[in-house]
Amino acid sequence: MALVNENTRLALVIGSGSVKCAAALGLMKVLERENIGVNLVVGCSGGALYAASIALGWPVETSIDKTLSLWTRRVTEKRSRKAVLQIILPGLFHFDENFGLIDDSRLNRQLYGAFGEASFADTHIPLHIAATDFFDGEQVVLSSGLIWEAIRASLSIPYVFPPYRVAGRALIDGYQSDPLPVGIAIKEGIDIILAMGFESPYQERITSLMRYNFQISSVTSNNLLKTNFAFHNLAHHSEIIPILPEFTQRIHLFDTEKIPYIIDEGEKAAEQALPYLKRLLGATGVSG
Amino acid sequence: MGQSRKRVALVIGSGGIKCAAAIGMWRVLQAENIPIDSIVGCSGGSLYAALIAKNIGWQELETLSRSLWTNDIMQGYTENLKASKDGSLRYNERSGLVNDAVMNRNLQQIYGELSFSDLTIPLTIVATDLLLGEKVLLSEGSVFDAIRASLAIPIIFPPWEVNGRLLIDGAVSDPLPIDVAIQNGADIIIAMGFTMSYRQRLRSMTAVQEQVNSIYMNNLLSSTYAFFNLAHHAEIFPIVPEFDEPLTMFDTQKIPQIAESGMQATQEQLPHIRRLLASSQ
Repeated sequence: MALVNENTRLALVIGSGSVKCAAALGLMKVLERENIGVNLVVGCSGGALYAASIALGWPVETSIDKTLSLWTRRVTEKRSRKAVLQIILPGLFHFDENFGLIDDSRLNRQLYGAFGEASFADTHIPLHIAATDFFDGEQVVLSSGLIWEAIRASLSIPYVFPPYRVAGRALIDGYQSDPLPVGIAIKEGIDIILAMGFESPYQERITSLMRYNFQISSVTSNNLLKTNFAFHNLAHHSEIIPILPEFTQRIHLFDTEKIPYIIDEGEKAAEQALPYLKRLLGATGVSG
Repeated sequence: MGQSRKRVALVIGSGGIKCAAAIGMWRVLQAENIPIDSIVGCSGGSLYAALIAKNIGWQELETLSRSLWTNDIMQGYTENLKASKDGSLRYNERSGLVNDAVMNRNLQQIYGELSFSDLTIPLTIVATDLLLGEKVLLSEGSVFDAIRASLAIPIIFPPWEVNGRLLIDGAVSDPLPIDVAIQNGADIIIAMGFTMSYRQRLRSMTAVQEQVNSIYMNNLLSSTYAFFNLAHHAEIFPIVPEFDEPLTMFDTQKIPQIAESGMQATQEQLPHIRRLLASSQ
Protein backbone atom coordinates (compact mmCIF):
# COMPACT_ATOMS: atom_id res chain seq x y z
CA MET A 1 0.00 0.00 0.00
CA ALA A 2 1.37 3.34 -1.07
CA LEU A 3 1.93 6.16 1.34
CA VAL A 4 0.87 9.68 0.54
CA ASN A 5 3.41 12.46 0.87
CA GLU A 6 2.24 15.32 3.00
CA ASN A 7 3.84 18.38 1.53
CA THR A 8 5.16 17.39 -1.84
CA ARG A 9 2.80 16.15 -4.47
CA LEU A 10 4.26 13.41 -6.60
CA ALA A 11 2.73 12.15 -9.83
CA LEU A 12 3.46 9.11 -11.91
CA VAL A 13 2.82 9.48 -15.64
CA ILE A 14 2.95 6.32 -17.74
CA GLY A 15 3.09 6.94 -21.47
CA SER A 16 2.04 4.71 -24.32
CA GLY A 17 4.19 1.69 -25.07
CA SER A 18 1.98 -1.42 -25.10
CA VAL A 19 3.43 -4.24 -23.01
CA LYS A 20 6.56 -2.23 -22.21
CA CYS A 21 4.38 -0.13 -19.90
CA ALA A 22 4.67 -3.00 -17.41
CA ALA A 23 7.99 -1.33 -16.53
CA ALA A 24 5.84 0.97 -14.37
CA LEU A 25 5.43 -1.97 -11.99
CA GLY A 26 9.21 -2.08 -11.54
CA LEU A 27 9.12 1.61 -10.72
CA MET A 28 6.33 1.00 -8.18
CA LYS A 29 8.39 -1.72 -6.51
CA VAL A 30 11.14 0.81 -5.91
CA LEU A 31 8.75 3.50 -4.64
CA GLU A 32 7.04 1.06 -2.27
CA ARG A 33 10.35 -0.18 -0.93
CA GLU A 34 11.40 3.43 -0.27
CA ASN A 35 8.01 4.33 1.22
CA ILE A 36 7.53 7.06 -1.32
CA GLY A 37 3.84 7.75 -1.90
CA VAL A 38 2.22 8.71 -5.17
CA ASN A 39 -0.45 11.42 -5.19
CA LEU A 40 -1.64 11.14 -8.76
CA VAL A 41 -1.37 8.61 -11.58
CA VAL A 42 -1.78 9.41 -15.26
CA GLY A 43 -1.80 6.80 -18.00
CA CYS A 44 -1.98 6.74 -21.77
CA SER A 45 -2.72 3.77 -24.02
CA GLY A 46 -0.86 0.70 -22.67
CA GLY A 47 0.22 2.91 -19.77
CA ALA A 48 -3.44 3.36 -18.81
CA LEU A 49 -3.64 -0.32 -17.84
CA TYR A 50 -0.84 0.00 -15.32
CA ALA A 51 -1.84 3.46 -14.17
CA ALA A 52 -5.26 2.04 -13.28
CA SER A 53 -3.85 -0.98 -11.45
CA ILE A 54 -1.53 1.28 -9.44
CA ALA A 55 -4.31 3.76 -8.67
CA LEU A 56 -6.55 0.92 -7.50
CA GLY A 57 -3.79 -0.15 -5.12
CA TRP A 58 -3.28 -3.61 -6.59
CA PRO A 59 -0.13 -5.33 -5.42
CA VAL A 60 2.48 -5.74 -8.17
CA GLU A 61 1.86 -9.51 -8.33
CA THR A 62 -1.86 -8.98 -8.93
CA SER A 63 -1.11 -6.52 -11.70
CA ILE A 64 1.22 -9.00 -13.36
CA ASP A 65 -1.34 -11.82 -13.12
CA LYS A 66 -4.10 -9.66 -14.50
CA THR A 67 -2.00 -8.38 -17.39
CA LEU A 68 -0.95 -11.88 -18.31
CA SER A 69 -4.55 -13.01 -18.55
CA LEU A 70 -5.79 -9.79 -20.15
CA TRP A 71 -3.17 -8.86 -22.71
CA THR A 72 -2.84 -11.96 -24.82
CA ARG A 73 -2.68 -12.53 -28.53
CA ARG A 74 -6.27 -13.63 -28.28
CA VAL A 75 -7.49 -10.03 -28.09
CA THR A 76 -6.38 -9.52 -31.69
CA GLU A 77 -7.15 -12.99 -32.96
CA LYS A 78 -10.65 -12.26 -34.04
CA ARG A 79 -10.45 -10.18 -37.19
CA SER A 80 -13.48 -8.09 -37.93
CA ARG A 81 -15.21 -9.68 -40.91
CA LYS A 82 -17.17 -6.49 -41.38
CA ALA A 83 -13.95 -4.45 -41.65
CA VAL A 84 -12.73 -6.57 -44.56
CA LEU A 85 -15.99 -5.96 -46.39
CA GLN A 86 -15.96 -2.29 -45.47
CA ILE A 87 -12.54 -1.84 -47.07
CA ILE A 88 -13.68 -3.49 -50.30
CA LEU A 89 -17.16 -1.96 -50.51
CA PRO A 90 -17.26 1.03 -48.16
CA GLY A 91 -20.64 2.23 -49.41
CA LEU A 92 -22.48 -1.06 -49.20
CA PHE A 93 -21.09 -2.03 -45.81
CA HIS A 94 -21.41 1.46 -44.35
CA PHE A 95 -17.81 2.34 -43.67
CA ASP A 96 -17.77 4.85 -40.85
CA GLU A 97 -15.58 6.08 -38.00
CA ASN A 98 -16.19 2.87 -36.05
CA PHE A 99 -13.92 0.99 -38.40
CA GLY A 100 -11.29 -1.30 -36.87
CA LEU A 101 -9.49 -4.33 -38.28
CA ILE A 102 -10.00 -6.29 -35.09
CA ASP A 103 -13.30 -7.24 -33.54
CA ASP A 104 -13.03 -5.64 -30.10
CA SER A 105 -15.57 -7.78 -28.26
CA ARG A 106 -12.84 -9.96 -26.76
CA LEU A 107 -10.73 -7.00 -25.65
CA ASN A 108 -13.78 -5.43 -24.04
CA ARG A 109 -14.61 -8.65 -22.21
CA GLN A 110 -11.04 -9.04 -20.98
CA LEU A 111 -10.88 -5.46 -19.74
CA TYR A 112 -14.21 -5.84 -18.01
CA GLY A 113 -13.00 -9.11 -16.52
CA ALA A 114 -9.96 -7.38 -15.03
CA PHE A 115 -11.48 -4.11 -13.87
CA GLY A 116 -15.19 -4.95 -13.61
CA GLU A 117 -17.33 -2.21 -12.16
CA ALA A 118 -14.38 -0.31 -10.65
CA SER A 119 -14.83 3.38 -11.25
CA PHE A 120 -12.50 6.35 -10.92
CA ALA A 121 -14.20 7.09 -7.61
CA ASP A 122 -12.91 3.76 -6.24
CA THR A 123 -9.22 4.47 -6.69
CA HIS A 124 -6.84 4.96 -3.75
CA ILE A 125 -4.87 7.48 -5.76
CA PRO A 126 -6.54 9.94 -8.16
CA LEU A 127 -6.31 8.61 -11.72
CA HIS A 128 -6.50 10.28 -15.12
CA ILE A 129 -6.48 8.49 -18.43
CA ALA A 130 -5.66 10.22 -21.72
CA ALA A 131 -7.44 9.55 -25.00
CA THR A 132 -7.91 11.56 -28.21
CA ASP A 133 -11.10 12.84 -29.83
CA PHE A 134 -11.29 11.30 -33.30
CA PHE A 135 -13.09 14.30 -34.77
CA ASP A 136 -11.31 17.29 -33.33
CA GLY A 137 -7.93 15.69 -32.66
CA GLU A 138 -7.73 17.10 -29.13
CA GLN A 139 -6.56 15.29 -26.05
CA VAL A 140 -9.44 14.09 -23.86
CA VAL A 141 -8.78 13.47 -20.16
CA LEU A 142 -10.98 10.81 -18.58
CA SER A 143 -11.34 11.05 -14.80
CA SER A 144 -14.77 9.67 -14.03
CA GLY A 145 -16.95 6.70 -14.86
CA LEU A 146 -15.92 3.10 -15.37
CA ILE A 147 -12.19 2.54 -15.48
CA TRP A 148 -12.27 -0.27 -18.02
CA GLU A 149 -14.07 1.95 -20.50
CA ALA A 150 -11.49 4.72 -20.14
CA ILE A 151 -8.68 2.21 -20.66
CA ARG A 152 -10.49 0.78 -23.68
CA ALA A 153 -10.77 4.26 -25.23
CA SER A 154 -7.13 5.05 -24.54
CA LEU A 155 -6.09 1.73 -26.13
CA SER A 156 -7.86 2.29 -29.46
CA ILE A 157 -4.77 1.81 -31.61
CA PRO A 158 -5.57 3.48 -34.93
CA TYR A 159 -6.71 1.06 -37.65
CA VAL A 160 -6.49 -1.91 -35.26
CA PHE A 161 -9.25 -1.34 -32.73
CA PRO A 162 -12.42 0.68 -33.37
CA PRO A 163 -12.72 3.97 -31.50
CA TYR A 164 -14.64 3.74 -28.25
CA ARG A 165 -17.49 6.05 -27.34
CA VAL A 166 -17.47 7.78 -23.98
CA ALA A 167 -20.15 10.38 -23.31
CA GLY A 168 -21.02 10.45 -27.00
CA ARG A 169 -17.50 11.20 -28.23
CA ALA A 170 -15.63 8.76 -30.47
CA LEU A 171 -12.30 8.36 -28.71
CA ILE A 172 -9.07 6.92 -30.04
CA ASP A 173 -5.67 6.15 -28.63
CA GLY A 174 -4.23 8.79 -26.31
CA TYR A 175 -0.87 8.59 -28.03
CA GLN A 176 -2.24 10.36 -31.06
CA SER A 177 -2.40 13.64 -29.18
CA ASP A 178 0.30 13.15 -26.54
CA PRO A 179 2.17 9.87 -26.00
CA LEU A 180 3.52 10.96 -22.59
CA PRO A 181 0.88 13.26 -21.09
CA VAL A 182 2.82 15.06 -18.36
CA GLY A 183 0.69 18.14 -19.09
CA ILE A 184 -2.21 16.52 -17.23
CA ALA A 185 -0.14 16.18 -14.06
CA ILE A 186 1.12 19.75 -14.37
CA LYS A 187 -2.46 21.03 -14.56
CA GLU A 188 -3.24 19.17 -11.33
CA GLY A 189 -0.62 21.21 -9.52
CA ILE A 190 1.92 18.45 -9.02
CA ASP A 191 5.41 19.24 -7.69
CA ILE A 192 7.37 16.24 -8.91
CA ILE A 193 6.51 14.16 -11.94
CA LEU A 194 7.97 10.76 -12.63
CA ALA A 195 7.49 10.42 -16.37
CA MET A 196 7.92 6.97 -17.83
CA GLY A 197 7.90 7.05 -21.61
CA PHE A 198 8.62 4.74 -24.48
CA GLU A 199 9.40 5.28 -28.12
CA SER A 200 7.18 3.51 -30.57
CA PRO A 201 9.15 0.82 -32.45
CA TYR A 202 9.63 1.10 -36.19
CA GLN A 203 8.67 -1.61 -38.63
CA GLU A 204 11.45 -4.04 -39.40
CA ARG A 205 10.19 -4.21 -42.96
CA ILE A 206 7.43 -2.33 -44.73
CA THR A 207 5.67 -4.94 -46.83
CA SER A 208 2.10 -3.64 -46.99
CA LEU A 209 0.02 -0.51 -46.89
CA MET A 210 -1.00 -1.28 -43.32
CA ARG A 211 2.62 -1.63 -42.22
CA TYR A 212 3.31 1.69 -43.94
CA ASN A 213 0.49 3.21 -41.89
CA PHE A 214 1.96 1.79 -38.68
CA GLN A 215 5.36 3.18 -39.61
CA ILE A 216 3.88 6.67 -40.11
CA SER A 217 2.09 6.37 -36.76
CA SER A 218 5.36 5.52 -35.04
CA VAL A 219 7.28 8.32 -36.74
CA THR A 220 4.72 10.98 -35.91
CA SER A 221 4.09 9.81 -32.36
CA ASN A 222 7.82 9.63 -31.58
CA ASN A 223 8.31 13.16 -32.85
CA LEU A 224 5.28 14.22 -30.82
CA LEU A 225 6.71 12.50 -27.74
CA LYS A 226 9.97 14.41 -27.99
CA THR A 227 8.42 17.78 -28.71
CA ASN A 228 5.78 17.58 -26.01
CA PHE A 229 8.27 16.40 -23.49
CA ALA A 230 10.68 19.18 -24.41
CA PHE A 231 7.88 21.71 -24.06
CA HIS A 232 6.64 20.56 -20.67
CA ASN A 233 10.12 20.19 -19.38
CA LEU A 234 10.78 23.80 -20.21
CA ALA A 235 7.39 25.27 -19.40
CA HIS A 236 6.49 23.54 -16.17
CA HIS A 237 7.04 24.84 -12.72
CA SER A 238 7.31 21.30 -11.42
CA GLU A 239 10.24 18.92 -11.57
CA ILE A 240 9.96 16.30 -14.27
CA ILE A 241 12.10 13.23 -13.87
CA PRO A 242 12.16 11.16 -17.04
CA ILE A 243 12.35 7.44 -16.45
CA LEU A 244 13.19 5.74 -19.71
CA PRO A 245 13.80 2.03 -19.38
CA GLU A 246 16.24 0.62 -21.91
CA PHE A 247 15.38 -2.62 -23.54
CA THR A 248 18.09 -4.52 -25.32
CA GLN A 249 15.59 -7.16 -26.39
CA ARG A 250 13.05 -6.22 -29.02
CA ILE A 251 9.60 -6.33 -27.46
CA HIS A 252 6.58 -6.96 -29.62
CA LEU A 253 2.99 -6.07 -28.91
CA PHE A 254 2.14 -9.34 -27.18
CA ASP A 255 5.45 -10.40 -25.67
CA THR A 256 3.85 -10.85 -22.27
CA GLU A 257 6.34 -13.61 -21.48
CA LYS A 258 8.90 -10.80 -21.30
CA ILE A 259 7.00 -9.00 -18.53
CA PRO A 260 9.42 -10.08 -15.78
CA TYR A 261 12.31 -8.75 -17.88
CA ILE A 262 10.37 -5.53 -18.60
CA ILE A 263 9.65 -5.02 -14.91
CA ASP A 264 13.35 -5.54 -14.12
CA GLU A 265 14.34 -2.87 -16.61
CA GLY A 266 11.71 -0.52 -15.13
CA GLU A 267 13.16 -1.16 -11.72
CA LYS A 268 16.69 -0.45 -12.94
CA ALA A 269 15.63 2.81 -14.58
CA ALA A 270 13.82 3.81 -11.37
CA GLU A 271 16.91 3.00 -9.26
CA GLN A 272 18.92 5.39 -11.42
CA ALA A 273 16.45 8.21 -10.81
CA LEU A 274 16.05 7.43 -7.10
CA PRO A 275 18.92 9.49 -5.63
CA TYR A 276 17.68 12.59 -7.40
CA LEU A 277 14.07 11.93 -6.42
CA LYS A 278 15.06 11.46 -2.77
CA ARG A 279 17.07 14.65 -2.83
CA LEU A 280 14.06 16.53 -4.19
CA LEU A 281 11.75 15.01 -1.61
CA GLY A 282 14.31 15.73 1.10
CA ALA A 283 14.69 19.29 -0.07
CA THR A 284 10.99 19.89 0.38
CA GLY A 285 10.97 18.31 3.81
CA VAL A 286 9.32 15.00 3.02
CA SER A 287 11.56 12.02 2.70
CA GLY A 288 10.69 8.39 2.87
CA MET B 1 22.23 47.94 -43.11
CA GLY B 2 25.34 46.79 -41.42
CA GLN B 3 26.04 43.97 -39.09
CA SER B 4 23.84 45.22 -36.31
CA ARG B 5 20.64 44.60 -38.28
CA LYS B 6 18.58 41.76 -36.97
CA ARG B 7 18.50 38.64 -39.09
CA VAL B 8 15.08 37.80 -40.46
CA ALA B 9 14.02 34.26 -41.37
CA LEU B 10 10.94 33.17 -43.22
CA VAL B 11 9.42 29.78 -42.39
CA ILE B 12 6.68 28.27 -44.55
CA GLY B 13 5.13 25.18 -43.01
CA SER B 14 3.26 22.27 -44.53
CA GLY B 15 -0.31 22.76 -45.70
CA GLY B 16 -0.83 21.46 -49.22
CA ILE B 17 -2.52 23.98 -51.45
CA LYS B 18 -3.03 26.36 -48.51
CA CYS B 19 0.69 27.12 -48.80
CA ALA B 20 -0.28 29.34 -51.75
CA ALA B 21 -0.97 31.88 -48.99
CA ALA B 22 2.80 32.43 -49.15
CA ILE B 23 2.19 34.32 -52.42
CA GLY B 24 0.26 36.97 -50.48
CA MET B 25 2.81 37.01 -47.69
CA TRP B 26 5.65 37.54 -50.16
CA ARG B 27 3.70 40.30 -51.87
CA VAL B 28 3.47 42.21 -48.60
CA LEU B 29 7.07 41.59 -47.55
CA GLN B 30 8.41 42.66 -50.94
CA ALA B 31 6.25 45.79 -51.04
CA GLU B 32 7.47 46.73 -47.59
CA ASN B 33 11.10 45.95 -48.39
CA ILE B 34 11.46 43.63 -45.44
CA PRO B 35 14.90 42.05 -45.83
CA ILE B 36 14.89 38.24 -45.66
CA ASP B 37 18.13 36.54 -44.66
CA SER B 38 17.11 32.90 -44.76
CA ILE B 39 14.14 30.75 -45.70
CA VAL B 40 12.92 27.39 -44.44
CA GLY B 41 10.23 25.36 -46.16
CA CYS B 42 8.40 22.17 -45.32
CA SER B 43 6.22 20.03 -47.60
CA GLY B 44 3.88 22.29 -49.66
CA GLY B 45 5.68 25.24 -48.09
CA SER B 46 8.95 24.20 -49.72
CA LEU B 47 7.45 24.88 -53.17
CA TYR B 48 7.08 28.55 -52.28
CA ALA B 49 10.15 28.78 -50.09
CA ALA B 50 12.37 27.76 -53.04
CA LEU B 51 10.84 30.34 -55.40
CA ILE B 52 11.03 33.11 -52.82
CA ALA B 53 14.68 32.17 -52.27
CA LYS B 54 15.19 32.97 -55.97
CA ASN B 55 13.81 36.40 -55.14
CA ILE B 56 11.19 36.40 -57.90
CA GLY B 57 8.15 38.70 -57.94
CA TRP B 58 4.86 37.67 -56.38
CA GLN B 59 3.01 37.65 -59.72
CA GLU B 60 5.48 35.14 -61.10
CA LEU B 61 5.09 33.11 -57.92
CA GLU B 62 1.36 32.92 -58.55
CA THR B 63 1.76 31.99 -62.22
CA LEU B 64 4.29 29.26 -61.45
CA SER B 65 2.24 27.76 -58.69
CA ARG B 66 -0.69 27.31 -61.04
CA SER B 67 1.48 25.14 -63.26
CA LEU B 68 2.49 23.07 -60.23
CA TRP B 69 -0.94 22.10 -59.03
CA THR B 70 -2.33 20.61 -62.22
CA ASN B 71 -5.41 18.42 -62.15
CA ASP B 72 -3.64 15.29 -63.35
CA ILE B 73 -1.19 15.33 -60.43
CA MET B 74 -3.08 12.49 -58.70
CA GLN B 75 -2.58 10.10 -61.63
CA GLY B 76 -3.09 6.44 -60.76
CA TYR B 77 -4.64 7.19 -57.39
CA THR B 78 -8.12 5.81 -58.09
CA GLU B 79 -6.83 2.58 -59.65
CA ASN B 80 -4.34 1.94 -56.88
CA LEU B 81 -6.93 2.70 -54.24
CA LYS B 82 -9.19 0.10 -55.80
CA ALA B 83 -6.32 -2.37 -55.85
CA SER B 84 -5.60 -1.64 -52.18
CA LYS B 85 -9.14 -2.67 -51.34
CA ASP B 86 -9.20 -5.99 -53.12
CA GLY B 87 -5.74 -6.86 -51.86
CA SER B 88 -4.03 -6.89 -55.27
CA LEU B 89 -1.92 -3.79 -54.52
CA ARG B 90 1.68 -4.53 -53.69
CA TYR B 91 2.97 -1.99 -51.28
CA ASN B 92 6.38 -1.49 -49.76
CA GLU B 93 8.48 1.34 -48.36
CA ARG B 94 8.98 2.79 -51.85
CA SER B 95 5.32 2.79 -52.83
CA GLY B 96 2.69 5.48 -53.04
CA LEU B 97 -0.91 5.41 -54.23
CA VAL B 98 -0.14 8.07 -56.81
CA ASN B 99 2.04 7.52 -59.84
CA ASP B 100 4.45 10.40 -59.33
CA ALA B 101 5.40 10.89 -62.99
CA VAL B 102 3.14 13.95 -63.40
CA MET B 103 4.27 15.56 -60.19
CA ASN B 104 7.92 14.97 -61.03
CA ARG B 105 7.41 16.48 -64.47
CA ASN B 106 5.67 19.56 -63.03
CA LEU B 107 8.41 20.04 -60.47
CA GLN B 108 11.15 19.51 -63.07
CA GLN B 109 9.65 22.20 -65.28
CA ILE B 110 9.91 24.77 -62.53
CA TYR B 111 12.91 23.75 -60.47
CA GLY B 112 14.76 21.76 -63.14
CA GLU B 113 18.47 22.12 -62.70
CA LEU B 114 18.22 24.61 -59.86
CA SER B 115 20.73 24.02 -57.11
CA PHE B 116 20.71 25.44 -53.58
CA SER B 117 23.88 27.35 -54.40
CA ASP B 118 22.05 29.23 -57.20
CA LEU B 119 19.59 30.83 -54.80
CA THR B 120 19.74 34.47 -53.74
CA ILE B 121 18.58 33.76 -50.19
CA PRO B 122 19.89 30.71 -48.28
CA LEU B 123 17.23 27.97 -48.21
CA THR B 124 16.69 24.89 -46.06
CA ILE B 125 14.06 22.28 -46.85
CA VAL B 126 12.80 19.83 -44.25
CA ALA B 127 11.96 16.19 -44.93
CA THR B 128 11.67 13.07 -42.77
CA ASP B 129 13.63 9.82 -42.91
CA LEU B 130 10.92 7.19 -43.40
CA LEU B 131 12.85 4.38 -41.79
CA LEU B 132 14.50 6.24 -38.90
CA GLY B 133 11.70 8.71 -38.22
CA GLU B 134 14.09 11.64 -37.95
CA LYS B 135 13.88 15.10 -39.40
CA VAL B 136 16.32 15.62 -42.29
CA LEU B 137 17.53 19.06 -43.40
CA LEU B 138 18.35 19.62 -47.05
CA SER B 139 20.35 22.69 -48.02
CA GLU B 140 22.65 21.65 -50.80
CA GLY B 141 22.49 19.94 -54.16
CA SER B 142 19.34 19.70 -56.23
CA VAL B 143 16.39 21.82 -55.12
CA PHE B 144 14.08 19.52 -57.09
CA ASP B 145 15.19 16.49 -55.08
CA ALA B 146 14.68 18.32 -51.81
CA ILE B 147 11.21 19.57 -52.69
CA ARG B 148 10.13 16.22 -54.09
CA ALA B 149 11.21 14.52 -50.85
CA SER B 150 9.58 17.09 -48.59
CA LEU B 151 6.31 16.80 -50.57
CA ALA B 152 5.97 13.03 -50.27
CA ILE B 153 2.66 12.92 -48.38
CA PRO B 154 2.57 9.55 -46.61
CA ILE B 155 0.68 6.82 -48.44
CA ILE B 156 -0.19 9.17 -51.32
CA PHE B 157 3.18 9.93 -52.94
CA PRO B 158 6.12 7.54 -53.07
CA PRO B 159 9.10 8.50 -50.90
CA TRP B 160 12.13 10.02 -52.62
CA GLU B 161 15.68 8.88 -52.19
CA VAL B 162 18.30 11.52 -51.45
CA ASN B 163 21.88 10.53 -50.60
CA GLY B 164 20.83 6.96 -49.96
CA ARG B 165 18.06 7.87 -47.51
CA LEU B 166 14.42 7.25 -48.20
CA LEU B 167 12.70 10.55 -47.45
CA ILE B 168 9.07 11.54 -46.96
CA ASP B 169 7.01 14.58 -46.05
CA GLY B 170 8.68 16.96 -43.60
CA ALA B 171 5.29 17.44 -41.90
CA VAL B 172 5.63 14.01 -40.31
CA SER B 173 8.52 15.18 -38.13
CA ASP B 174 8.32 18.98 -38.07
CA PRO B 175 5.34 20.64 -39.80
CA LEU B 176 6.44 24.21 -38.99
CA PRO B 177 10.23 24.09 -38.71
CA ILE B 178 10.87 27.18 -36.61
CA ASP B 179 13.76 25.34 -34.95
CA VAL B 180 15.67 25.27 -38.23
CA ALA B 181 15.44 29.06 -38.50
CA ILE B 182 16.65 29.37 -34.90
CA GLN B 183 19.60 27.08 -35.63
CA ASN B 184 20.42 29.22 -38.66
CA GLY B 185 20.80 32.17 -36.31
CA ALA B 186 17.66 34.18 -36.99
CA ASP B 187 16.61 36.95 -34.60
CA ILE B 188 13.20 37.52 -36.12
CA ILE B 189 11.18 34.63 -37.51
CA ILE B 190 8.13 35.09 -39.69
CA ALA B 191 6.43 31.71 -39.57
CA MET B 192 3.51 30.86 -41.81
CA GLY B 193 1.76 27.70 -40.63
CA PHE B 194 -1.41 25.80 -41.39
CA THR B 195 -3.52 23.30 -39.52
CA MET B 196 -4.95 20.32 -41.35
CA SER B 197 -8.73 20.18 -41.61
CA TYR B 198 -10.60 17.34 -40.02
CA ARG B 199 -13.38 15.37 -41.60
CA GLN B 200 -16.72 15.08 -39.93
CA ARG B 201 -17.46 11.80 -41.68
CA LEU B 202 -15.10 8.93 -42.21
CA ARG B 203 -16.52 6.91 -45.03
CA SER B 204 -13.46 5.05 -46.28
CA MET B 205 -10.12 3.66 -45.20
CA THR B 206 -8.41 6.59 -46.93
CA ALA B 207 -10.50 9.02 -44.90
CA VAL B 208 -9.41 7.24 -41.70
CA GLN B 209 -5.75 7.38 -42.77
CA GLU B 210 -6.07 11.07 -43.52
CA GLN B 211 -7.78 11.77 -40.22
CA VAL B 212 -5.23 9.79 -38.20
CA ASN B 213 -2.33 11.60 -39.87
CA SER B 214 -4.01 15.02 -39.55
CA ILE B 215 -4.45 14.48 -35.82
CA TYR B 216 -0.78 13.61 -35.40
CA MET B 217 0.43 16.51 -37.49
CA ASN B 218 -1.81 19.13 -35.88
CA ASN B 219 -0.74 18.02 -32.42
CA LEU B 220 2.86 18.07 -33.56
CA LEU B 221 2.38 21.55 -35.00
CA SER B 222 0.91 22.97 -31.82
CA SER B 223 3.51 21.39 -29.58
CA THR B 224 6.49 22.42 -31.72
CA TYR B 225 5.11 25.93 -31.91
CA ALA B 226 4.52 26.04 -28.15
CA PHE B 227 8.01 24.74 -27.47
CA PHE B 228 9.95 27.07 -29.73
CA ASN B 229 7.86 30.04 -28.79
CA LEU B 230 8.94 29.42 -25.24
CA ALA B 231 12.49 28.26 -25.85
CA HIS B 232 13.73 30.63 -28.52
CA HIS B 233 15.71 33.74 -28.02
CA ALA B 234 14.30 35.05 -31.29
CA GLU B 235 11.03 36.84 -31.93
CA ILE B 236 8.49 34.65 -33.69
CA PHE B 237 5.63 36.16 -35.67
CA PRO B 238 3.09 33.48 -36.49
CA ILE B 239 1.09 34.01 -39.64
CA VAL B 240 -1.82 31.62 -39.69
CA PRO B 241 -4.25 32.45 -42.50
CA GLU B 242 -7.87 31.54 -41.92
CA PHE B 243 -9.96 29.75 -44.50
CA ASP B 244 -13.74 29.52 -44.49
CA GLU B 245 -13.82 26.08 -46.06
CA PRO B 246 -11.65 22.98 -46.17
CA LEU B 247 -9.34 23.07 -49.19
CA THR B 248 -8.11 20.07 -51.14
CA MET B 249 -5.31 19.62 -53.62
CA PHE B 250 -7.84 20.04 -56.40
CA ASP B 251 -8.86 23.58 -55.44
CA THR B 252 -6.32 25.13 -57.81
CA GLN B 253 -8.82 27.70 -59.03
CA LYS B 254 -8.92 29.10 -55.48
CA ILE B 255 -5.23 30.06 -55.46
CA PRO B 256 -5.99 33.81 -55.79
CA GLN B 257 -8.30 33.72 -52.73
CA ILE B 258 -5.76 31.69 -50.78
CA ALA B 259 -3.05 34.22 -51.66
CA GLU B 260 -5.41 36.99 -50.54
CA SER B 261 -5.86 35.36 -47.12
CA GLY B 262 -2.09 35.12 -46.82
CA MET B 263 -1.79 38.80 -47.61
CA GLN B 264 -4.32 39.78 -44.97
CA ALA B 265 -2.74 37.58 -42.32
CA THR B 266 0.68 39.10 -43.06
CA GLN B 267 -0.62 42.66 -42.93
CA GLU B 268 -1.91 42.01 -39.44
CA GLN B 269 1.60 41.20 -38.25
CA LEU B 270 3.32 43.89 -40.29
CA PRO B 271 3.27 46.76 -37.76
CA HIS B 272 4.89 44.46 -35.15
CA ILE B 273 7.54 43.21 -37.57
CA ARG B 274 8.37 46.75 -38.69
CA ARG B 275 8.60 48.04 -35.14
CA LEU B 276 11.01 45.30 -34.19
CA LEU B 277 13.15 45.85 -37.28
CA ALA B 278 13.24 49.59 -36.70
CA SER B 279 14.30 49.19 -33.10
CA SER B 280 17.38 47.26 -34.18
CA GLN B 281 18.69 49.61 -36.81
